Amino acid sequence: MAKNDAKSDITKMSFEEAIKELTGIVSKIEEGEISLQDSLSQYERGMALIKQCRTILQQAEKRIEKISQEKEAEENENK
Amino acid sequence: MDFKKKNNTKIYTVSEINSLIKAVLADILPEKLVVKGEISNWKHHSSGHCYFSLKDENAVLNCVMWSSDFRLVKFKPADGVAVFASGFIDVYEPQGKYQLYVEKLEPAGVGALQLAFEQLVKRLAAEGFFDENHKRPLPPYPQRIGILTSESGAAIGDIVHSITTRWPCVRLFLYPVPVQGEGAAEEIAEAIRDVNRRNKELKLDLLIVGRGGGSLEDLWAFNEEVLARAIYNSKIPIISAVGHEYDTTIADLVADKRAATPTKAGVVAVPDVKEVQEQLNYIENRIVSEIKWKIQSYNEELRNILVSPVFKRPKSLVQNAQQRVDELGSRMEQYLKNKLLTAQKKLHEVYDKVIRIEPHRFLGKLFVELNNMQNRANTAIQGALSKRRMQFTAQENRLAGLNPKSVLQRGYSITTNAKTGFLIRKKDDIEIGDLIITELAQENLIESKVTKK
Repeated sequence: MAKNDAKSDITKMSFEEAIKELTGIVSKIEEGEISLQDSLSQYERGMALIKQCRTILQQAEKRIEKISQEKEAEENENK
Repeated sequence: MDFKKKNNTKIYTVSEINSLIKAVLADILPEKLVVKGEISNWKHHSSGHCYFSLKDENAVLNCVMWSSDFRLVKFKPADGVAVFASGFIDVYEPQGKYQLYVEKLEPAGVGALQLAFEQLVKRLAAEGFFDENHKRPLPPYPQRIGILTSESGAAIGDIVHSITTRWPCVRLFLYPVPVQGEGAAEEIAEAIRDVNRRNKELKLDLLIVGRGGGSLEDLWAFNEEVLARAIYNSKIPIISAVGHEYDTTIADLVADKRAATPTKAGVVAVPDVKEVQEQLNYIENRIVSEIKWKIQSYNEELRNILVSPVFKRPKSLVQNAQQRVDELGSRMEQYLKNKLLTAQKKLHEVYDKVIRIEPHRFLGKLFVELNNMQNRANTAIQGALSKRRMQFTAQENRLAGLNPKSVLQRGYSITTNAKTGFLIRKKDDIEIGDLIITELAQENLIESKVTKK
Protein backbone atom coordinates (compact mmCIF):
# COMPACT_ATOMS: atom_id res chain seq x y z
CA MET A 1 0.00 0.00 0.00
CA ALA A 2 2.83 2.30 0.81
CA LYS A 3 4.33 1.32 -2.51
CA ASN A 4 1.25 2.43 -4.43
CA ASP A 5 1.27 5.72 -2.61
CA ALA A 6 4.89 6.20 -3.51
CA LYS A 7 4.15 5.41 -7.13
CA SER A 8 1.28 7.88 -7.36
CA ASP A 9 3.62 10.38 -5.69
CA ILE A 10 6.06 9.95 -8.52
CA THR A 11 3.48 10.68 -11.22
CA LYS A 12 2.71 13.93 -9.44
CA MET A 13 6.34 14.93 -9.23
CA SER A 14 7.78 17.75 -11.28
CA PHE A 15 10.72 16.99 -13.52
CA GLU A 16 13.02 18.89 -11.23
CA GLU A 17 11.95 16.95 -8.14
CA ALA A 18 12.23 13.66 -9.99
CA ILE A 19 15.73 14.40 -11.31
CA LYS A 20 16.83 15.57 -7.88
CA GLU A 21 15.65 12.39 -6.18
CA LEU A 22 17.07 10.30 -8.98
CA THR A 23 20.50 11.80 -8.55
CA GLY A 24 20.28 11.10 -4.84
CA ILE A 25 19.32 7.48 -5.49
CA VAL A 26 22.21 6.93 -7.88
CA SER A 27 24.77 8.19 -5.43
CA LYS A 28 23.15 6.23 -2.59
CA ILE A 29 23.31 2.99 -4.55
CA GLU A 30 26.82 3.74 -5.76
CA GLU A 31 28.10 4.44 -2.29
CA GLY A 32 27.14 0.85 -1.53
CA GLU A 33 26.32 1.55 2.09
CA ILE A 34 22.73 0.42 1.92
CA SER A 35 21.49 -3.13 2.19
CA LEU A 36 20.62 -5.22 -0.83
CA GLN A 37 16.95 -4.95 0.08
CA ASP A 38 17.18 -1.17 0.22
CA SER A 39 19.16 -0.88 -2.95
CA LEU A 40 16.61 -3.02 -4.78
CA SER A 41 13.75 -0.82 -3.63
CA GLN A 42 15.82 2.25 -4.45
CA TYR A 43 16.48 0.75 -7.85
CA GLU A 44 12.76 0.23 -8.44
CA ARG A 45 12.02 3.77 -7.39
CA GLY A 46 14.85 5.06 -9.58
CA MET A 47 13.43 3.29 -12.61
CA ALA A 48 9.97 4.69 -11.84
CA LEU A 49 11.47 8.17 -11.58
CA ILE A 50 13.25 7.74 -14.90
CA LYS A 51 9.96 6.71 -16.45
CA GLN A 52 8.28 9.75 -14.98
CA CYS A 53 11.03 12.04 -16.32
CA ARG A 54 10.68 10.52 -19.77
CA THR A 55 6.91 10.87 -19.64
CA ILE A 56 7.26 14.54 -18.78
CA LEU A 57 9.80 15.05 -21.57
CA GLN A 58 7.52 13.38 -24.08
CA GLN A 59 4.58 15.60 -23.26
CA ALA A 60 4.98 18.04 -26.10
CA GLU A 61 2.25 20.42 -25.20
CA LYS A 62 2.97 22.98 -27.88
CA ARG A 63 -0.04 24.94 -26.94
CA ILE A 64 0.10 28.39 -25.65
CA GLU A 65 -2.41 29.31 -23.09
CA LYS A 66 -3.31 32.90 -22.73
CA ILE A 67 -3.45 34.52 -19.38
CA SER A 68 -4.62 38.03 -19.18
CA GLN A 69 -5.12 40.67 -16.68
CA GLU A 70 -8.22 41.39 -14.71
CA LYS A 71 -11.35 39.39 -14.52
CA GLU A 72 -11.55 37.64 -17.88
CA ALA A 73 -9.15 34.90 -16.91
CA GLU A 74 -10.76 34.32 -13.57
CA GLU A 75 -14.20 34.19 -15.15
CA ASN A 76 -12.97 31.63 -17.62
CA GLU A 77 -11.55 29.57 -14.80
CA ASN A 78 -14.81 29.74 -12.94
CA LYS A 79 -16.69 28.43 -15.96
CA MET B 1 -18.97 60.98 -59.12
CA ASP B 2 -17.40 62.27 -62.22
CA PHE B 3 -14.96 65.05 -61.52
CA LYS B 4 -14.12 65.60 -65.16
CA LYS B 5 -17.65 66.31 -66.18
CA LYS B 6 -19.11 68.11 -63.20
CA ASN B 7 -16.28 70.44 -62.30
CA ASN B 8 -13.60 71.62 -64.45
CA THR B 9 -10.99 70.62 -61.85
CA LYS B 10 -7.51 69.68 -62.98
CA ILE B 11 -6.75 66.07 -62.33
CA TYR B 12 -3.12 65.25 -61.41
CA THR B 13 -1.40 61.97 -61.68
CA VAL B 14 0.56 60.79 -58.62
CA SER B 15 3.80 61.39 -60.46
CA GLU B 16 2.71 64.87 -61.39
CA ILE B 17 1.82 65.82 -57.85
CA ASN B 18 5.03 64.40 -56.42
CA SER B 19 7.16 66.24 -58.94
CA LEU B 20 5.18 69.41 -58.26
CA ILE B 21 5.90 69.10 -54.55
CA LYS B 22 9.53 68.49 -55.37
CA ALA B 23 9.60 71.69 -57.38
CA VAL B 24 7.84 73.72 -54.71
CA LEU B 25 10.19 72.47 -52.03
CA ALA B 26 13.22 73.17 -54.13
CA ASP B 27 11.88 76.64 -54.71
CA ILE B 28 11.29 77.51 -51.07
CA LEU B 29 13.94 75.67 -49.11
CA PRO B 30 17.56 76.77 -49.06
CA GLU B 31 19.85 74.75 -51.24
CA LYS B 32 22.00 73.74 -48.23
CA LEU B 33 20.79 73.47 -44.67
CA VAL B 34 21.89 72.13 -41.30
CA VAL B 35 19.47 70.18 -39.06
CA LYS B 36 20.00 69.41 -35.41
CA GLY B 37 18.47 66.23 -34.04
CA GLU B 38 18.94 62.87 -32.43
CA ILE B 39 19.66 59.85 -34.58
CA SER B 40 17.06 57.14 -34.50
CA ASN B 41 16.43 53.95 -36.48
CA TRP B 42 20.02 53.93 -37.68
CA LYS B 43 20.53 51.40 -40.45
CA HIS B 44 23.81 50.90 -42.20
CA HIS B 45 22.66 48.99 -45.28
CA SER B 46 24.90 46.33 -46.84
CA SER B 47 25.14 48.61 -49.89
CA GLY B 48 27.07 51.00 -47.69
CA HIS B 49 24.34 53.65 -47.72
CA CYS B 50 22.84 54.75 -44.45
CA TYR B 51 19.17 55.19 -43.70
CA PHE B 52 18.00 56.77 -40.50
CA SER B 53 15.92 59.51 -39.05
CA LEU B 54 16.52 62.58 -37.00
CA LYS B 55 14.14 63.51 -34.28
CA ASP B 56 13.42 65.84 -31.46
CA GLU B 57 10.67 65.69 -28.82
CA ASN B 58 7.87 66.23 -31.31
CA ALA B 59 8.91 65.28 -34.80
CA VAL B 60 10.84 62.92 -37.00
CA LEU B 61 12.72 63.58 -40.25
CA ASN B 62 13.78 60.78 -42.58
CA CYS B 63 17.41 60.89 -43.70
CA VAL B 64 19.66 59.25 -46.25
CA MET B 65 23.42 59.35 -46.38
CA TRP B 66 25.25 57.88 -49.33
CA SER B 67 28.21 55.64 -48.68
CA SER B 68 30.56 58.08 -50.48
CA ASP B 69 29.63 60.76 -47.91
CA PHE B 70 29.43 58.39 -44.96
CA ARG B 71 33.01 57.24 -45.53
CA LEU B 72 34.17 60.67 -44.38
CA VAL B 73 32.29 60.58 -41.08
CA LYS B 74 34.76 60.19 -38.21
CA PHE B 75 32.50 59.04 -35.35
CA LYS B 76 30.16 56.08 -35.14
CA PRO B 77 26.59 57.24 -35.46
CA ALA B 78 24.05 55.27 -33.44
CA ASP B 79 20.58 55.62 -32.09
CA GLY B 80 20.25 58.34 -29.53
CA VAL B 81 23.27 60.29 -30.68
CA ALA B 82 22.57 63.98 -31.16
CA VAL B 83 24.01 65.31 -34.41
CA PHE B 84 24.24 68.24 -36.76
CA ALA B 85 23.34 66.94 -40.22
CA SER B 86 24.03 69.16 -43.20
CA GLY B 87 22.66 68.51 -46.69
CA PHE B 88 19.52 69.25 -48.67
CA ILE B 89 15.88 68.29 -48.59
CA ASP B 90 14.40 66.53 -51.56
CA VAL B 91 11.41 64.39 -52.38
CA TYR B 92 11.84 60.72 -53.03
CA GLU B 93 9.18 60.47 -55.64
CA PRO B 94 8.67 56.65 -55.80
CA GLN B 95 7.53 56.70 -52.16
CA GLY B 96 6.17 60.17 -52.01
CA LYS B 97 8.27 61.14 -49.06
CA TYR B 98 10.63 63.92 -48.53
CA GLN B 99 13.95 63.33 -46.85
CA LEU B 100 17.15 64.96 -45.84
CA TYR B 101 20.08 63.96 -48.03
CA VAL B 102 22.89 64.19 -45.52
CA GLU B 103 26.32 65.09 -46.82
CA LYS B 104 28.00 65.85 -43.53
CA LEU B 105 27.33 64.50 -40.08
CA GLU B 106 28.75 65.83 -36.84
CA PRO B 107 28.01 64.81 -33.24
CA ALA B 108 26.25 67.38 -31.07
CA GLY B 109 26.71 65.86 -27.66
CA VAL B 110 24.72 63.03 -26.18
CA GLY B 111 21.07 62.75 -27.14
CA ALA B 112 18.39 63.41 -24.60
CA LEU B 113 17.07 59.83 -24.44
CA GLN B 114 20.60 58.48 -24.20
CA LEU B 115 21.27 60.89 -21.38
CA ALA B 116 18.10 59.85 -19.59
CA PHE B 117 19.14 56.21 -19.99
CA GLU B 118 22.57 56.80 -18.54
CA GLN B 119 21.21 58.77 -15.63
CA LEU B 120 18.69 56.06 -14.79
CA VAL B 121 21.34 53.35 -15.02
CA LYS B 122 23.46 55.27 -12.55
CA ARG B 123 20.58 55.78 -10.13
CA LEU B 124 19.35 52.19 -10.22
CA ALA B 125 22.88 50.85 -9.90
CA ALA B 126 23.29 52.89 -6.72
CA GLU B 127 20.09 51.29 -5.40
CA GLY B 128 21.52 47.85 -6.07
CA PHE B 129 19.17 46.96 -8.91
CA PHE B 130 21.91 45.28 -10.94
CA ASP B 131 23.62 43.45 -8.08
CA GLU B 132 24.52 39.89 -8.95
CA ASN B 133 23.57 38.64 -5.50
CA HIS B 134 20.02 39.87 -5.95
CA LYS B 135 19.56 37.82 -9.10
CA ARG B 136 17.27 34.84 -8.64
CA PRO B 137 18.54 31.52 -9.96
CA LEU B 138 16.62 30.17 -12.94
CA PRO B 139 14.83 26.84 -12.57
CA PRO B 140 16.89 24.14 -14.29
CA TYR B 141 13.87 22.41 -15.82
CA PRO B 142 11.04 24.94 -16.21
CA GLN B 143 7.56 23.49 -16.52
CA ARG B 144 5.42 26.58 -16.82
CA ILE B 145 6.80 29.69 -18.43
CA GLY B 146 4.95 32.96 -18.64
CA ILE B 147 5.74 35.16 -21.64
CA LEU B 148 5.01 38.85 -21.38
CA THR B 149 5.06 40.43 -24.81
CA SER B 150 2.85 41.76 -27.56
CA GLU B 151 0.40 39.25 -28.97
CA SER B 152 0.89 40.58 -32.48
CA GLY B 153 4.65 41.15 -32.48
CA ALA B 154 7.29 38.94 -34.05
CA ALA B 155 8.89 38.28 -30.68
CA ILE B 156 6.21 35.90 -29.39
CA GLY B 157 6.75 33.50 -32.31
CA ASP B 158 10.52 33.66 -31.90
CA ILE B 159 10.39 33.06 -28.17
CA VAL B 160 7.90 30.18 -28.41
CA HIS B 161 9.82 28.53 -31.21
CA SER B 162 13.17 28.86 -29.46
CA ILE B 163 11.74 27.26 -26.32
CA THR B 164 9.66 24.44 -27.77
CA THR B 165 12.35 23.17 -30.13
CA ARG B 166 14.66 22.66 -27.16
CA TRP B 167 12.17 21.79 -24.46
CA PRO B 168 8.82 20.63 -25.83
CA CYS B 169 7.46 19.46 -22.52
CA VAL B 170 6.87 22.94 -21.18
CA ARG B 171 3.61 24.79 -20.87
CA LEU B 172 3.70 28.33 -22.14
CA PHE B 173 1.46 31.10 -21.02
CA LEU B 174 1.20 34.30 -23.00
CA TYR B 175 0.36 37.45 -21.13
CA PRO B 176 -0.32 39.99 -23.88
CA VAL B 177 1.03 43.45 -23.16
CA PRO B 178 1.83 46.46 -25.31
CA VAL B 179 5.58 46.72 -25.75
CA GLN B 180 5.93 50.25 -27.01
CA GLY B 181 4.27 53.60 -26.79
CA GLU B 182 2.75 55.62 -24.03
CA GLY B 183 1.99 53.59 -20.90
CA ALA B 184 3.55 50.37 -22.19
CA ALA B 185 6.14 50.24 -19.41
CA GLU B 186 3.46 50.67 -16.75
CA GLU B 187 1.35 47.91 -18.32
CA ILE B 188 4.24 45.47 -18.50
CA ALA B 189 5.15 46.31 -14.91
CA GLU B 190 1.57 45.73 -13.81
CA ALA B 191 1.50 42.44 -15.69
CA ILE B 192 4.60 41.30 -13.78
CA ARG B 193 3.04 42.29 -10.48
CA ASP B 194 -0.26 40.65 -11.49
CA VAL B 195 1.40 37.35 -12.37
CA ASN B 196 3.33 37.38 -9.09
CA ARG B 197 0.13 37.96 -7.17
CA ARG B 198 -1.68 35.12 -8.94
CA ASN B 199 1.20 32.70 -9.02
CA LYS B 200 -0.32 30.36 -6.46
CA GLU B 201 -2.74 29.28 -9.17
CA LEU B 202 -0.64 30.09 -12.23
CA LYS B 203 2.40 28.23 -10.82
CA LEU B 204 4.77 29.85 -13.30
CA ASP B 205 8.39 29.06 -12.59
CA LEU B 206 9.86 31.52 -15.06
CA LEU B 207 8.88 34.72 -16.84
CA ILE B 208 10.19 36.05 -20.13
CA VAL B 209 9.71 39.73 -20.86
CA GLY B 210 10.60 40.91 -24.32
CA ARG B 211 10.00 42.31 -27.71
CA GLY B 212 11.70 42.43 -31.10
CA GLY B 213 14.21 44.97 -32.30
CA GLY B 214 13.37 48.60 -32.90
CA SER B 215 14.55 52.10 -32.44
CA LEU B 216 15.63 53.45 -29.11
CA GLU B 217 12.16 55.00 -28.75
CA ASP B 218 10.52 51.71 -29.64
CA LEU B 219 12.46 49.96 -26.93
CA TRP B 220 12.05 52.79 -24.48
CA ALA B 221 9.42 51.06 -22.38
CA PHE B 222 12.15 48.63 -21.34
CA ASN B 223 14.26 51.52 -20.11
CA GLU B 224 11.70 52.92 -17.73
CA GLU B 225 12.06 52.88 -14.01
CA VAL B 226 8.59 51.52 -13.32
CA LEU B 227 9.37 48.36 -15.27
CA ALA B 228 12.82 48.06 -13.70
CA ARG B 229 11.23 48.11 -10.24
CA ALA B 230 8.63 45.50 -11.18
CA ILE B 231 11.35 43.19 -12.49
CA TYR B 232 13.50 43.80 -9.44
CA ASN B 233 10.65 42.98 -7.06
CA SER B 234 9.35 39.91 -8.88
CA LYS B 235 9.46 36.66 -6.91
CA ILE B 236 9.40 34.67 -10.13
CA PRO B 237 12.74 34.71 -11.99
CA ILE B 238 12.68 36.88 -15.11
CA ILE B 239 14.56 36.64 -18.38
CA SER B 240 14.67 39.72 -20.57
CA ALA B 241 14.67 39.27 -24.32
CA VAL B 242 14.62 42.69 -25.88
CA GLY B 243 15.65 43.91 -29.33
CA HIS B 244 18.89 43.05 -31.02
CA GLU B 245 22.22 41.83 -29.71
CA TYR B 246 23.63 45.31 -29.38
CA ASP B 247 20.62 46.85 -27.64
CA THR B 248 21.04 46.87 -23.93
CA THR B 249 18.05 48.08 -21.99
CA ILE B 250 17.65 48.67 -18.28
CA ALA B 251 15.29 45.69 -18.21
CA ASP B 252 18.22 43.59 -19.45
CA LEU B 253 20.39 44.84 -16.61
CA VAL B 254 17.82 44.24 -13.89
CA ALA B 255 16.55 40.87 -15.15
CA ASP B 256 17.92 37.70 -13.60
CA LYS B 257 19.23 36.61 -16.99
CA ARG B 258 19.37 38.33 -20.33
CA ALA B 259 18.66 36.76 -23.68
CA ALA B 260 20.30 38.92 -26.36
CA THR B 261 17.31 38.52 -28.64
CA PRO B 262 13.88 36.86 -28.45
CA THR B 263 15.19 34.00 -30.62
CA LYS B 264 17.81 33.29 -27.98
CA ALA B 265 15.30 33.18 -25.12
CA GLY B 266 14.99 29.40 -25.38
CA VAL B 267 18.72 28.79 -24.94
CA VAL B 268 18.73 30.86 -21.80
CA ALA B 269 15.42 29.65 -20.40
CA VAL B 270 15.30 25.92 -20.95
CA PRO B 271 17.62 22.93 -21.24
CA ASP B 272 17.99 20.93 -24.42
CA VAL B 273 15.69 17.94 -24.24
CA LYS B 274 18.22 15.80 -26.11
CA GLU B 275 20.89 16.46 -23.54
CA VAL B 276 18.46 15.75 -20.72
CA GLN B 277 17.41 12.49 -22.41
CA GLU B 278 21.06 11.53 -22.66
CA GLN B 279 21.57 12.37 -19.04
CA LEU B 280 18.58 10.21 -18.14
CA ASN B 281 19.97 7.33 -20.19
CA TYR B 282 23.25 7.73 -18.43
CA ILE B 283 21.59 7.66 -15.03
CA GLU B 284 19.56 4.64 -16.06
CA ASN B 285 22.69 2.80 -17.18
CA ARG B 286 24.42 3.62 -13.95
CA ILE B 287 21.54 2.41 -11.81
CA VAL B 288 21.08 -0.77 -13.83
CA SER B 289 24.77 -1.65 -13.94
CA GLU B 290 25.20 -0.79 -10.30
CA ILE B 291 22.37 -3.05 -9.21
CA LYS B 292 23.53 -5.82 -11.53
CA TRP B 293 26.99 -5.58 -10.12
CA LYS B 294 25.61 -5.60 -6.62
CA ILE B 295 23.52 -8.71 -7.19
CA GLN B 296 26.43 -10.42 -8.87
CA SER B 297 28.76 -9.64 -6.02
CA TYR B 298 26.20 -10.88 -3.50
CA ASN B 299 25.86 -14.05 -5.55
CA GLU B 300 29.58 -14.52 -5.53
CA GLU B 301 29.70 -13.97 -1.82
CA LEU B 302 26.98 -16.57 -1.36
CA ARG B 303 28.87 -19.04 -3.54
CA ASN B 304 31.99 -18.46 -1.51
CA ILE B 305 30.09 -19.12 1.67
CA LEU B 306 28.57 -22.33 0.29
CA VAL B 307 31.93 -23.77 -0.72
CA SER B 308 33.43 -22.97 2.64
CA PRO B 309 34.39 -26.09 4.75
CA VAL B 310 31.61 -25.35 7.21
CA PHE B 311 28.99 -26.24 4.68
CA LYS B 312 31.02 -28.86 2.84
CA ARG B 313 32.13 -30.94 5.88
CA PRO B 314 30.09 -29.79 8.85
CA LYS B 315 31.72 -32.52 11.02
CA SER B 316 35.10 -31.01 10.47
CA LEU B 317 34.08 -28.19 12.72
CA VAL B 318 33.79 -30.54 15.70
CA GLN B 319 36.81 -32.48 14.62
CA ASN B 320 38.85 -29.40 14.36
CA ALA B 321 37.69 -28.36 17.78
CA GLN B 322 38.63 -31.80 19.14
CA GLN B 323 42.04 -31.50 17.60
CA ARG B 324 42.40 -28.13 19.09
CA VAL B 325 41.48 -29.39 22.55
CA ASP B 326 44.01 -32.22 22.25
CA GLU B 327 46.61 -29.85 21.12
CA LEU B 328 45.96 -27.56 24.04
CA GLY B 329 46.00 -30.52 26.44
CA SER B 330 49.38 -31.69 25.36
CA ARG B 331 50.70 -28.23 25.39
CA MET B 332 49.51 -27.78 28.94
CA GLU B 333 51.16 -31.05 29.97
CA GLN B 334 54.39 -30.05 28.34
CA TYR B 335 54.24 -26.77 30.09
CA LEU B 336 53.81 -28.34 33.50
CA LYS B 337 56.63 -30.74 32.87
CA ASN B 338 58.92 -27.95 31.97
CA LYS B 339 57.93 -26.06 35.03
CA LEU B 340 58.70 -29.02 37.27
CA LEU B 341 62.05 -29.58 35.64
CA THR B 342 62.97 -25.98 36.13
CA ALA B 343 62.04 -26.14 39.79
CA GLN B 344 64.13 -29.27 40.30
CA LYS B 345 67.06 -27.73 38.59
CA LYS B 346 66.77 -24.70 40.78
CA LEU B 347 66.69 -26.87 43.89
CA HIS B 348 69.88 -28.66 42.85
CA GLU B 349 71.60 -25.41 42.29
CA VAL B 350 70.66 -24.13 45.72
CA TYR B 351 71.73 -27.45 47.34
CA ASP B 352 75.11 -27.24 45.61
CA LYS B 353 75.61 -23.77 46.93
CA VAL B 354 74.73 -24.89 50.45
CA ILE B 355 77.16 -27.83 50.21
CA ARG B 356 79.91 -25.58 49.07
CA ILE B 357 79.52 -23.54 52.26
CA GLU B 358 80.59 -26.77 54.34
CA PRO B 359 78.53 -26.21 57.46
CA HIS B 360 80.20 -28.92 59.57
CA ARG B 361 83.60 -27.37 59.14
CA PHE B 362 82.21 -24.00 59.89
CA LEU B 363 80.57 -25.36 63.02
CA GLY B 364 83.74 -27.14 64.23
CA LYS B 365 85.65 -23.93 64.12
CA LEU B 366 82.92 -22.31 66.12
CA PHE B 367 83.07 -25.12 68.68
CA VAL B 368 86.81 -24.72 69.16
CA GLU B 369 86.38 -21.05 69.68
CA LEU B 370 83.57 -21.69 72.09
CA ASN B 371 85.75 -24.13 74.11
CA ASN B 372 88.54 -21.64 74.31
CA MET B 373 86.19 -19.03 75.57
CA GLN B 374 84.81 -21.43 78.11
CA ASN B 375 88.33 -22.35 79.34
CA ARG B 376 89.26 -18.74 79.59
CA ALA B 377 86.13 -18.01 81.55
CA ASN B 378 86.76 -20.98 83.87
CA THR B 379 90.34 -19.97 84.56
CA ALA B 380 89.27 -16.44 85.26
CA ILE B 381 86.59 -17.56 87.65
CA GLN B 382 89.00 -20.04 89.38
CA GLY B 383 91.60 -17.31 89.79
CA ALA B 384 89.09 -14.93 91.26
CA LEU B 385 87.76 -17.59 93.59
CA SER B 386 91.16 -18.70 94.97
CA LYS B 387 92.13 -15.08 95.44
CA ARG B 388 89.05 -14.50 97.54
CA ARG B 389 89.62 -17.76 99.42
CA MET B 390 93.15 -16.77 100.28
CA GLN B 391 91.99 -13.36 101.46
CA PHE B 392 89.42 -15.08 103.59
CA THR B 393 91.97 -17.54 105.07
CA ALA B 394 94.26 -14.66 105.94
CA GLN B 395 91.49 -12.93 107.78
CA GLU B 396 90.68 -16.18 109.57
CA ASN B 397 94.29 -16.64 110.54
CA ARG B 398 94.45 -13.16 111.90
CA LEU B 399 91.37 -13.84 113.96
CA ALA B 400 92.75 -17.17 115.23
CA GLY B 401 95.95 -15.43 116.11
CA LEU B 402 94.08 -13.08 118.33
CA ASN B 403 92.65 -15.86 120.46
CA PRO B 404 94.14 -19.12 119.35
CA LYS B 405 91.97 -21.37 121.46
CA SER B 406 88.73 -19.77 120.70
CA VAL B 407 89.73 -19.66 117.18
CA LEU B 408 90.45 -23.38 117.38
CA GLN B 409 86.96 -23.85 118.67
CA ARG B 410 85.61 -22.34 115.54
CA GLY B 411 87.50 -25.04 113.54
CA TYR B 412 90.78 -23.33 112.94
CA SER B 413 94.10 -25.15 113.64
CA ILE B 414 97.56 -24.16 114.54
CA THR B 415 100.29 -25.41 112.30
CA THR B 416 103.78 -25.82 113.51
CA ASN B 417 106.97 -27.09 111.96
CA ALA B 418 107.46 -30.48 113.43
CA LYS B 419 111.24 -30.16 113.15
CA THR B 420 111.49 -26.72 114.76
CA GLY B 421 108.35 -26.64 116.77
CA PHE B 422 107.66 -23.04 115.60
CA LEU B 423 104.39 -21.77 114.22
CA ILE B 424 104.42 -21.55 110.56
CA ARG B 425 103.75 -17.98 109.68
CA LYS B 426 105.31 -17.68 106.33
CA LYS B 427 106.65 -19.79 103.44
CA ASP B 428 110.12 -19.56 104.61
CA ASP B 429 109.07 -21.20 107.88
CA ILE B 430 108.78 -24.55 106.13
CA GLU B 431 110.58 -26.59 103.45
CA ILE B 432 109.22 -29.17 101.08
CA GLY B 433 109.44 -32.53 102.72
CA ASP B 434 109.11 -31.04 106.19
CA LEU B 435 106.51 -32.40 108.53
CA ILE B 436 103.74 -30.15 109.72
CA ILE B 437 101.90 -30.61 112.92
CA THR B 438 98.40 -29.31 112.98
CA GLU B 439 96.86 -28.68 116.31
CA LEU B 440 93.03 -28.74 116.46
CA ALA B 441 90.64 -27.57 119.12
CA GLN B 442 90.19 -31.07 120.57
CA GLU B 443 93.92 -31.22 121.09
CA ASN B 444 94.23 -33.68 118.32
CA LEU B 445 97.41 -33.45 116.40
CA ILE B 446 97.67 -34.17 112.73
CA GLU B 447 100.97 -34.71 111.13
CA SER B 448 101.33 -33.94 107.41
CA LYS B 449 104.06 -33.59 104.92
CA VAL B 450 104.68 -30.52 102.79
CA THR B 451 104.66 -31.53 99.20
CA LYS B 452 104.31 -28.20 97.59
CA LYS B 453 104.60 -24.58 98.44
